[in-house]
Amino acid sequence: MSWRRLFSRAARDRERAQEMDAHLALHIDELIARGRTPEDAAREARLAFGNPRVKLEEIHEMTRLPLLDVLGRDVRYALRVLRRAPVFTATAVITLALVIGACTAVFSLADAILLRPLPYPEQERLAYLERWTSSPRGQGAALSHDGLAWELVRDRVPSLDSAAYGASFGGGVNLVVGEATAIVRQQRVSAGYFRVLGVQPRVGRGFSAEEDRPGGPQAAVLSDHTWRTLFAANPAIVGSGVLLRGEPYTVVGVMPADFVNLSDVDVWTPLRGSQRGEGGGTNFAVVTRLAPGATVEQAGAELAALGREPFANLQLRSDVTAALRLRPMQDALVESAREPIVMLAVAVGVVLVIACVNLAALLLARGGSRAREIATRMALGSGRRAVVRQLMVEALVLSAAGAALGTLVGMLVLQGLQALGGQTFAQWSRVALDWRALTATMTLAMITSVIFGLVPALQASRLDVNAALGGSSSRSVAGTARQWPRRLLVATEVALGVVLLVTAGLLIRTFVELRLLDPGFDPRNITTASVSLLDARYQSGASMNRLFDQSLARMLQSPGVESAAVGLGMPYQRLLNLGFLFTDVPEDQGRVTNATYVAGDIFGTLGIGLRRGRTLLASDREGTPAVAVVNESFARFYSTDRDAVGRRIRVSGVEREIVGVVANVQQLGSGFLLEGLRSGPLTSPPLVYLPASQSIETMRGAHVWFSPVWAVRARTMPDAAAAIRQAIASVDPLLPVGEPRRMSDVMAQATSQQRLLMTLVAVTACAALLLAAIGIHGLIAHSVSDRRREFGIRLALGATAGQTMRAVALGGVMLAAIGALAGGLLSLASVKLVQSFLWNVGERDPITYIAVTGFVLVVAAIASVIPATRILRLDPAQVLRSQ
Amino acid sequence: MRRRKGGAPDGDLLAGTLDMLILRIVRGGPVHGLDIAQRIERQSDQALLVEQGSLYPALHRLEERGWITAEWGTTANNRRARYYRITPAGRKQLLAEAGRWEALVRAVARVMKPAAS
Repeated sequence: MSWRRLFSRAARDRERAQEMDAHLALHIDELIARGRTPEDAAREARLAFGNPRVKLEEIHEMTRLPLLDVLGRDVRYALRVLRRAPVFTATAVITLALVIGACTAVFSLADAILLRPLPYPEQERLAYLERWTSSPRGQGAALSHDGLAWELVRDRVPSLDSAAYGASFGGGVNLVVGEATAIVRQQRVSAGYFRVLGVQPRVGRGFSAEEDRPGGPQAAVLSDHTWRTLFAANPAIVGSGVLLRGEPYTVVGVMPADFVNLSDVDVWTPLRGSQRGEGGGTNFAVVTRLAPGATVEQAGAELAALGREPFANLQLRSDVTAALRLRPMQDALVESAREPIVMLAVAVGVVLVIACVNLAALLLARGGSRAREIATRMALGSGRRAVVRQLMVEALVLSAAGAALGTLVGMLVLQGLQALGGQTFAQWSRVALDWRALTATMTLAMITSVIFGLVPALQASRLDVNAALGGSSSRSVAGTARQWPRRLLVATEVALGVVLLVTAGLLIRTFVELRLLDPGFDPRNITTASVSLLDARYQSGASMNRLFDQSLARMLQSPGVESAAVGLGMPYQRLLNLGFLFTDVPEDQGRVTNATYVAGDIFGTLGIGLRRGRTLLASDREGTPAVAVVNESFARFYSTDRDAVGRRIRVSGVEREIVGVVANVQQLGSGFLLEGLRSGPLTSPPLVYLPASQSIETMRGAHVWFSPVWAVRARTMPDAAAAIRQAIASVDPLLPVGEPRRMSDVMAQATSQQRLLMTLVAVTACAALLLAAIGIHGLIAHSVSDRRREFGIRLALGATAGQTMRAVALGGVMLAAIGALAGGLLSLASVKLVQSFLWNVGERDPITYIAVTGFVLVVAAIASVIPATRILRLDPAQVLRSQ
Repeated sequence: MRRRKGGAPDGDLLAGTLDMLILRIVRGGPVHGLDIAQRIERQSDQALLVEQGSLYPALHRLEERGWITAEWGTTANNRRARYYRITPAGRKQLLAEAGRWEALVRAVARVMKPAAS
């Protein structure tokens, strides 16, 4: 109704004008009829009517929509006012945009990953099976189970519909469809996997129990993506054959496009879990869905009723109690993602607070300096309400501009986050900008600007008009008094900034420590490439050895190659855990070590130093006495009382002599907990090197989890990459070779999560510091302009500009110092939150605290001195005259 | 949407009563603006002289409130004019205002009488 009125206004005005014209015409007719001359009649009629334009205007006034019109005027006025203060406007809008953008991006991430329910029907009934253990030494929980536990849960817990899936292979596997080949990601799942998740294939079916049995028919289910890219979305695909890892499979189904798997997968095959082979170890994850009508308590009771039976093959020590439990799926899935995101969210939350504080301070200051303008307007008859409304509109205009720009910033920040963190956290790459988060942040920023835009307005409107306008001497006094809340705000900003900077500093120190760590070998000029041997042709250790030996021989002939070796895992990667036993100790004193199977001159190639004894030689072949080389950690932790060299160990049923001890190299942590061994992202646990040629029988099981990696020391990276590709292709042209990578890249990858967190927190902290610096700058600039008169007098009385400047700038630095002190104290408590991300750095690391404080003070000094230099341009005579 | 309170634009007694006078005249049947002005003058024996243009804001106001309606028509002389008609709501309003007016007149009269006598 109102809108129609608004738009029909022009038409109505026109009608009124016509009506008035008609009135005049009628009257003139009438007067002429009474005998007036047309001229007289027209004059008389017009006289009787009055000024039609005034009347039209009056009607126009009545029809207008008062609020909208007034708002329009206010907005126009606000735009004019803001244009006249470009520095203030730019600062406020940029602050708003940055903070709205950053917060929206991070909160979108948090919301999508931590809060939003999983994309499965009745996802709250989904859970992971968890093995919970407790012993006098501590408690633990694991999500991986062996074949026995899986079969028991599948067959003897009716309250749960369960499915298992196997650990994924490192890298992709080879898929051949007719002429086309592709490297795809394979996941092996039990029958019922899709049913448990609650998503049915769009074409065909899931796996049957028959297919899930060892030796059953080889079946495959395709992802929608694979179906579209490799099979052109052909619905008649079901029943056709593909070659996966060199073996024939029949396609039985295709999953829908909107199916989100627990990991990114292109093709599923049956798990065929049993108690033997893979199922002999804890290699299965088990997902469960509560059966219709069943409760968590029922399921728990049924799981408890299994007693110790599921753990019969785990050889738990007698003082360990173990139980199977359910862990809500969402909870389990977001666990690893939670900490970094929460940390990031807290960090940007702090920046949000700082930005709001900054905005508040800015608006407060502006409100203060506009007291005169407001007083003028009120003296001219403007009502308090009009003044308040005007200031509110100004704040809203600012917020709106900030929000518009902030949306743009948010998109950019999210893209940046995904580019930075997408590799480390795969979930990040699926997140889109969340409008709820955007609205929430925007609302917060608007509320801030309205509140703090209004407080001075209310204050100012209560001002004694006479005092503000009349006595200019009272201004400087009032000005100083008004600065107090603002100083407090700025000090708070500095304190919060310091907290973030300390956190960033500690993370940086952690990262630097990790990067400065002695790798234990010479990573220069080394290029590595891994090859997946998950292929029917590499089921035997003999065929693997043939590949190793022949390819290495080829590589050594390639131009530029100095040496080459292959191992099941390289430094800065995770390695196989293997049980072993010294032959000279009792049977029950078995220990666990990291192990790798190697071929070629691994120690020479990587430059790992020999400490005692000898390294592995080409003469250590099948048929010669079995040997092993251990690292220093092995000797230090496991052979404390005598020299390791010469001792014999039994590994995977083979007895070997330790012939040498080599230097430690850094590996990715693989859950090794030994007293005295530094744990963390990088560590040097006990490690045994086993010659592949002497492990033909035992190596087979391991290469499923650890792809062999070729390492080549060559003059240039392209030389090495070409050598690896050509050599392997010459031995087996069908084998897909992974992308060759520099060893230095592998090392960087190992600390990528630390680098990501460090970068994110450091950027956030710098933003916080920048905002705080803007706050200090604004404070000093304002106090300079407010106290011009005072400074003019000072200068006139003989103070030098330098002295005055120092006095003013010192205020800012002192404020920063107070803020830094408070922030430092606050940090001591808050760093507890990031403790788990620190490595080899104390949470009270004095270097970090001192550096941060110094940095903050320097920035504060710069932010204070810049506005203080305005005093240099002050002409005392002019200042004193002007007021 | 809230509308500005339509008070008397000129703030004097005549303007306040102008609405009532217009309603009273329009009640008699369709009339156009000039007619209304002339009738007020005639019926008040030229005591109330209306600036003819001033009628229009008042007419507009009354129309906005739904007390009168208007449509274009032709006069006896074949001129276009907008003819006003009272609505039921307008009749009610006229009654109320007339009542208030009489009460006011009586009250003023009671005050004036002793002084006059």
